[in-house]
Amino acid sequence: MSERSGDAEALGGGRSPGPVLAVEGLTMHYSTRAGVVRAVDGVSFSVGKGQALGLVGESGCGKSSLALTLLKLLPENAQILSGRILLDGMDIVPLPEERMREYRWSRIAMVFQAAMNSLNPVYRVGEQIIEALEVHVESAREESLRRVRELYDLVNLDPSLIMRYPHEYSGGMKQRAVIAMALACEPDVVIADEPTTALDVIVQDHILREMKNVRAELGMSMIYVSHDMAVIAEVSDMVGVMYAGRLVELGSTVDVFRDPIHPYTRALTSAFPSVTGEKHELTVLPGEPPNMIDPPSGCRFHPRCPYATDPCRSETPPIVRRGGHWAACWNPTGEGA
Amino acid sequence: MVGYLLNRTFQILLTLFVFMSIVFFIVNAQPGDVSNVYALNPDLPPETRERLRDLFGVNEPLWKQYLVHVRNTLTGNFGVSFSNYPRSVADIVMERLPRTLALFMTATVLSFYLGFALGKIIAWRRGGWTEYTSTIGGVTLYTVFTPWFGLMMIWLLGFKAGWLPIGKFLDPELWRDAPTDANAVFGMMIATAVAASVIVFAVFALTKKRRGSGAALIRIGSLAGSLLVAVGIWLVAGTGYLAWDIIRHMVLPVVTLTLISFAGTMLLTRSSMLETMREDYVVAARAKGLPEKDVRDRHVARNALLPVVTSFMFSLAFAVDGGVIIESIFSWPGMGQTLVSAAVAEDLPLAVGAFVFVGSFILLAHLAADVLYVYLDPRIRY
Repeated sequence: MSERSGDAEALGGGRSPGPVLAVEGLTMHYSTRAGVVRAVDGVSFSVGKGQALGLVGESGCGKSSLALTLLKLLPENAQILSGRILLDGMDIVPLPEERMREYRWSRIAMVFQAAMNSLNPVYRVGEQIIEALEVHVESAREESLRRVRELYDLVNLDPSLIMRYPHEYSGGMKQRAVIAMALACEPDVVIADEPTTALDVIVQDHILREMKNVRAELGMSMIYVSHDMAVIAEVSDMVGVMYAGRLVELGSTVDVFRDPIHPYTRALTSAFPSVTGEKHELTVLPGEPPNMIDPPSGCRFHPRCPYATDPCRSETPPIVRRGGHWAACWNPTGEGA
Repeated sequence: MVGYLLNRTFQILLTLFVFMSIVFFIVNAQPGDVSNVYALNPDLPPETRERLRDLFGVNEPLWKQYLVHVRNTLTGNFGVSFSNYPRSVADIVMERLPRTLALFMTATVLSFYLGFALGKIIAWRRGGWTEYTSTIGGVTLYTVFTPWFGLMMIWLLGFKAGWLPIGKFLDPELWRDAPTDANAVFGMMIATAVAASVIVFAVFALTKKRRGSGAALIRIGSLAGSLLVAVGIWLVAGTGYLAWDIIRHMVLPVVTLTLISFAGTMLLTRSSMLETMREDYVVAARAKGLPEKDVRDRHVARNALLPVVTSFMFSLAFAVDGGVIIESIFSWPGMGQTLVSAAVAEDLPLAVGAFVFVGSFILLAHLAADVLYVYLDPRIRY
């Protein structure tokens, strides 16, 4: 598909059969004046080629921090304490900034939260896409322009918009342009952080469907980050549920939604209405996500958990496996409980 | 855009007219009148005095004088200077205005360039040695008592070290046998500078889309090339030594002005940069894998530039009245000195004329600022 992957095949004998992206025991802390914020704590997951992983959780549970950590785009006060981020089997955590630059966008690209603001207001949108192309792909300007036209076609944007400024775009158009920009260098993984949160439901639906099609067409892997269970359910093959910096449940979307193990997952799924399923009383989870400077001991969810028992308060919960998914819980809920 | 410009031009003309009227009435509100300088001469017999007052038109009612004043101004007749008799006001202003503009525009451009470059760096690498030095040094110079600092510069560089002339526009001894006069040479210098800037700007604009070392080379080449050509032309013309004399006289006031004012721009740039650095498109630029320098210059500094340009245009506008203090300290024969001496000598036509020119220039600078914004910020459309 691209010259790059061709080169890689010639050099390294093809893509490794393992996952495109694997994260192992990733821990990232922010040091603030108030104390150390444990934003990402021992997170592990992997994404296969062409797969889509959804990360859900309430605001402030570390989803966006995790997304930024994967690109090592962290502010100065943040530190990756341990863990590995394996891109095609290669750990990018120890890479110096100069090397890391080559990986950004060409291997892992990102559709930012509030895509509206991730376009620089003083440059034409097309130029901002060409800029990304110029850094990673050596090509003439005409070549880059042709590529931008292709990308616009892919995300259903009128090519006449290429040389327009961001303020001349509508919200949905900007979102599409930002997606086109993420696809520019044919990355292996695209991270979409709340890709449709600011849009109305109709535009949201269109864009999600298009992203799904584009993924199928280009065979890239995706990580969706959202607080919106409905969005995640629609677009991902796998779901990871995050709570207070930890991954508490991970598995195939169907399994996780049909038969949640962790009480937090259960609470999240029952807080959303189902159009086609049975009617049920929407339950609202009481309380707020914990303070990440001083998180609760044991299972971090225990202060809000209706099933909490003594071990939950003091000891790290064990991994419970069931079907195609697992959860970290002392008192698993659902069928097997 | 055209409609907006027409509208703004109309507003400017209206403002200028109001300004001109206010200047006229304020001048007439003071005791005595324009004829005082001549008519109060005790050697004059009363009839002559009355005759003089009639000739000056001051015996007419004020509104009639005002109408005459308006008519004269509109036809470009600013009258004759009393203190430089028989030179016309327009002639004097045309001689002094370029001198002030050359001095203050050079200093303003330098001080903004320096301030912007430093502000950019200290915002990007916070808490470093550079930040402390430039902030403490810059703010000290910014707040220092200007006349004292000017005198210290003259004492140090002009008197003690003897590197630079201690004041004035030129060295009269050098010019005694000169083949041409100072105004002609200075006019040619300004023409050269304008031509060179136009060429350099054009090259920069043409290579805007191109990046990499090739484009940088072309830009630096155009800068060096036009400089060389300019110097060459002056050497061939044989008046180069005269131009050099004027430049030598400019150095001290320009350096002083730059030093006392760059910190304002530096701090403004710094805070504007810090604000812009928080924007999402900056994280996005970094995520795209752009080199740090591109993120800083193309994404952060380019957007942080907007408030700095506003401040620059206003500084430029006020460059025209020439810091009275700086011009007096360095005996620079520009608009500031002209205004002061006209006021002291009760040379009312010259004072009024100088005011009108200063006002027009400030209004023109505002118009230029409006046009520049459209170019710098695509969100602005009139």
